[in-house]
Amino acid sequence: MNKIINEIQTTLEPLTIETPAFRQIAVVVKPDAIHNSLAYLRQKGFTQLSIVTCIDWIKDSEMEMVYVLFNWTEGIHIQLRARIDREKPVMVTSTDIFPGARYYEREVHEFFGVEFPGNEDAAKPLLLELWDDLPPLRKDFDSQAYSDSKFPMRERGNEFVSEIGGQNK
Amino acid sequence: MKEVKLFLGPQHPGMHGNYSVHMYVDGDIIEKARPTPGFLHRGFEKLMERRHWMGNLALIPRICVPEPDINEFVYAQGIESLAKIEVPEKAHWIRMLVLEMARVMVHLMSLGFIGGPTGMYTATYWAIAQRDLILDLFEELCGARVYHMYIVPGGVRKDLPEGFTDRVLAMMDELEVKIPEYEELILKHPIIHARTKDNIMLPAEVVWELGVTGIGMRSATGEENDLRKVQPYARYDQVEFEVPTATYSDALTRLNLKVREMYQCISIIRQVIDKMPDEGPVNVPVSTGSALRWTVPAGMVYSAVESSRGEYGYFIVSDGKEMPYRIAVRGASFPQGLLGIEKYLKGHRIDDASLWMDTMGVCSPEIDR
Repeated sequence: MNKIINEIQTTLEPLTIETPAFRQIAVVVKPDAIHNSLAYLRQKGFTQLSIVTCIDWIKDSEMEMVYVLFNWTEGIHIQLRARIDREKPVMVTSTDIFPGARYYEREVHEFFGVEFPGNEDAAKPLLLELWDDLPPLRKDFDSQAYSDSKFPMRERGNEFVSEIGGQNK
Repeated sequence: MKEVKLFLGPQHPGMHGNYSVHMYVDGDIIEKARPTPGFLHRGFEKLMERRHWMGNLALIPRICVPEPDINEFVYAQGIESLAKIEVPEKAHWIRMLVLEMARVMVHLMSLGFIGGPTGMYTATYWAIAQRDLILDLFEELCGARVYHMYIVPGGVRKDLPEGFTDRVLAMMDELEVKIPEYEELILKHPIIHARTKDNIMLPAEVVWELGVTGIGMRSATGEENDLRKVQPYARYDQVEFEVPTATYSDALTRLNLKVREMYQCISIIRQVIDKMPDEGPVNVPVSTGSALRWTVPAGMVYSAVESSRGEYGYFIVSDGKEMPYRIAVRGASFPQGLLGIEKYLKGHRIDDASLWMDTMGVCSPEIDR
């Protein structure tokens, strides 16, 4: 594992590199280095893409893309992360390296609004039907307000409630 | 010929959970397939951001309906590595016991549900009845049958009841007699053979392309790619077990591997009960005072477990507050359930579509979350 960390350190020149858990490496790179880093790691044996996801850091006005890869021969997970601008979040697609990323990117686009140039499907709706609001996993999306606007409260009288024995009088 | 559009699901006997596939068929053959998830989307990832770390324990088992224990385990494991909590020795063994019992349970269930797509409902009734007896053991352990909430950060909730291990061993002896009967009924049945043999292939190249894990991967590549072996969590490095593999992955092979894994589970459970320490604490207190004010140190960790369908994981982000900042769920059937259906369901017959989903291990609750 130290060997892999050293190799990553010299080749990818990451911003930070640490080991958050047992057999796990977290690497933070610049956003324009993501594509090269994924290609490099895949060639180094990290052949499985476990998840692509995103974190909304609203206070820093940034989005953080997360790619988790797994190496089946060494048994090591790697988190590859990069922060992108929150106002216009764009990340180049990774489907040419990991074809399985296609639906993950579609999901991230739907829930965070990140654009993936190169992935034609990314903008199609996947899980949410007829969604017309902010992407729902962003921190400034207010689920209570959305629910109140879409499903108005019904005025409910007490016509369904009968007192005990009231009906059979 | 005229192209016809057919809908498989969201309500269909061969479909497990509310999931739909739009199929464009030419005669009997599927020309194009489009997966349509979203019927079961409950917004778990958003809900988890609005609940306390401990409050989430009631929520997370519901993400994957047939196999809830893996959720509790990955959640607990992730928090423990963020907060640097050392789990007591006995708790590790009890967790393994629970996880393996859950694996037998879910394999039984999925083996039985082969009755849905093939029309052999006897298998379903037998397997579900047997699964219920295992659920009885869970009820004795923690008071709940399906959603246990037993594995918590810092260990497990309570010690095993008195005489519990004896009853588990008795159940394993019973299973060892019963599983060959299920094999006779299900795997050697001519109807099932006609439907599954040399049908619904999964070549090794497709495994790498989609990122399929679990039985699908092991049945095609012949490699022992099991997280319990490759990246042993809990105390899996101290028990001996084999990882069944194959190099020719048709639907029947994958069903066979399921049965062979059940035998391995039985062997693991016996070793766990044998090696488990008798005495000792089963949890460490994670908070002082109220669990509502309990915080987890800031950080990000990915925590993974080998579920019955493959690698299942949580990506947990904490900002040091009382609630998680973000939790992303990696469902084990995400690769084959979406891209797999779109690319590789075509060319199959209509009646094999639900069999395809069944033997590939597509579980809609973990795709939708």
